[in-house]
Amino acid sequence: MRLRRSIKAKLQPKKQKARSKGVSQWNIAWRRFKKNKAALAGALIIGFVMFLAAFDALIAPYPPNSLPGFLTGEARVPPSMKYLFGTDFVGHDVFSQVVYGARSALYVGFGAAGIAMSLAILVGLVSGYYGGLVDNILMRITEIFLVFPFLLILLVFLKVITAVAPSGVGGLSMVTIMIGLFSWAPNARIIRGEVLRVKESEFIDASKALGASKRRIIFRHIFPNVLHIVIVLTTLMIATAILVEAAVSFLGFGDPAAITWGQQLQKANEAVKEAWWEGVFPGLFITLLVLGFNLLGNGLRDALDPRLRE
Amino acid sequence: MKSKQILKIENLRTYFDTWAGKVKAVDGVSLEVREGETLGLVGESGSGKSVTALSILGIVPRPGKIIDGKIEYKEENLLEKTESDMQKVRGKEISYIFQDPATSLNPVFSIAEQLTEVIRCHQNVTKKEALEKAIELLRLVEIPDPEIKIWNFPHQLSGGMKQRIAVARALSCQPSLLLADEPTTNLDVTIQAQILQLMKSLKRKLRMSMILITHDMGVVAGVADRITVLYAGAVCETANTKTVFYKPKHPYTKALLTAVPSLALRREKLAVIPGTIPNLIEPPTGCKFHPRCEYAKAICAKKTPRLEEIEPGHYVACIRASEIKIESPLGAKTDE
Repeated sequence: MRLRRSIKAKLQPKKQKARSKGVSQWNIAWRRFKKNKAALAGALIIGFVMFLAAFDALIAPYPPNSLPGFLTGEARVPPSMKYLFGTDFVGHDVFSQVVYGARSALYVGFGAAGIAMSLAILVGLVSGYYGGLVDNILMRITEIFLVFPFLLILLVFLKVITAVAPSGVGGLSMVTIMIGLFSWAPNARIIRGEVLRVKESEFIDASKALGASKRRIIFRHIFPNVLHIVIVLTTLMIATAILVEAAVSFLGFGDPAAITWGQQLQKANEAVKEAWWEGVFPGLFITLLVLGFNLLGNGLRDALDPRLRE
Repeated sequence: MKSKQILKIENLRTYFDTWAGKVKAVDGVSLEVREGETLGLVGESGSGKSVTALSILGIVPRPGKIIDGKIEYKEENLLEKTESDMQKVRGKEISYIFQDPATSLNPVFSIAEQLTEVIRCHQNVTKKEALEKAIELLRLVEIPDPEIKIWNFPHQLSGGMKQRIAVARALSCQPSLLLADEPTTNLDVTIQAQILQLMKSLKRKLRMSMILITHDMGVVAGVADRITVLYAGAVCETANTKTVFYKPKHPYTKALLTAVPSLALRREKLAVIPGTIPNLIEPPTGCKFHPRCEYAKAICAKKTPRLEEIEPGHYVACIRASEIKIESPLGAKTDE
């Protein structure tokens, strides 16, 4: 894709503007995606949260972790004009904390998905392409990861690491890395299956017959043909990672210093009856963002599926 | 007609090690291709035509393995070359055209990318030069508006057009030998004729040699200079095209010719060769064709025939070749 654009830019004389353009599968996918209202709504939600994360200091009325309600005695006051989402039991402004939480959610989502998908792509491609013994070994390792009770092992690891490692090693980054390291297995299996399908195509034999090296075949011919699956899996992985982080924090295994929606939920759980606003708003944002990524993922799947060509 | 040979295969054996046993897909094939000629490789499905061609390039799919033999290309044994040396041969010296143009082009890349990739893989040229070369190639395979068509993607082109692109891609580095594996089987008849015509003229223009693999006797008749007939992984007969068609010496060749639908020999029902191609895990003893052969005698099941030159340039693998008299179903045409 890059090659085409750069060549085109250099070589196309200006007069040829009206020529019929090549329509790549990406163009087709984009056209189909634009028509999908739900997917666009998903993209909009994600865009909104990204906006919050980017300008959090400007949007939030109070600095992070500040206690505007503490000195004035306004702890656990319901939503008002002064405190849009109310305050919690020590006097945090819930709205400000929710806004600051957006960055953590995206950080965990993209970070963990990045780690998990890199591993999944690597394992999937190598395992699917080489087959035989390599495949056997990699798939057995994958299965070991699949049969782990995911959340349980995650909690144990986090606990052990925070206990063993010197202070400062834990934190949100550690949670992110751990989620990434423990959730690549199912994706690797899906990518491997797709590679197995693509590998048998005649154009792979053709590039072999034209002198392409193995690395070239894997990365230049097979990878672009499984990319649509990878994109969809990535969006869904982001959603999962955000949910898992919320769960971990809610259970008290996250980073207490970080402002995350999960942490807020945990603090709110003791006062569900008296102060619903403490839990509802962070929860709402978790739901919204996860829904957004799921809608986007589903939309992308429909748009990128090569079987559904208009 | 005594030009130098460019490719010589001797006693090639390629076996597939499956759970059911060793499938002897190619079992002692010997053939040669001379410079500038087209060799037609003919046989039923499963006779080892494609595996022979894949063996030449060393890309037999697993679990296939070349067990024995010699593949001499320009006086070098390809089987002794390392994988990285072979990568330089593939596409540059020897090229391959696949049967189905719909699947032999990568769907996610434009034509420009597919062609320039091969060019830049084997030649030291800039992107711009490669692109100019690619456009030149499209012109060579007679694609209209090459400057525009080159930005198209495979799914925007018709089957015939795609096969032209595949031909262009195979020719992009001016190979000396082109292996065409049933290049026209998946095209309709008029396009088939066009592509064959194109390949014929390109072969002459670029001074290539070609191996044309097909099961269609009509196709080889029009294009090939010589024909090698394969049956169950072994050569039955090799001769120039006219001899094969009008003076075949092997019963299998005759049977193949009888099965060709022809307007000249309109019969009530199309003749078929009785039986099917034998099980290649345990092929029949002796001559592999004897269970289906109308001339078979007891000796055929015992003695394995060797490929012998019965006339200059005419090789036959049949024990009874000199005893039996075979008349070509197309009539005996003497030299004009």
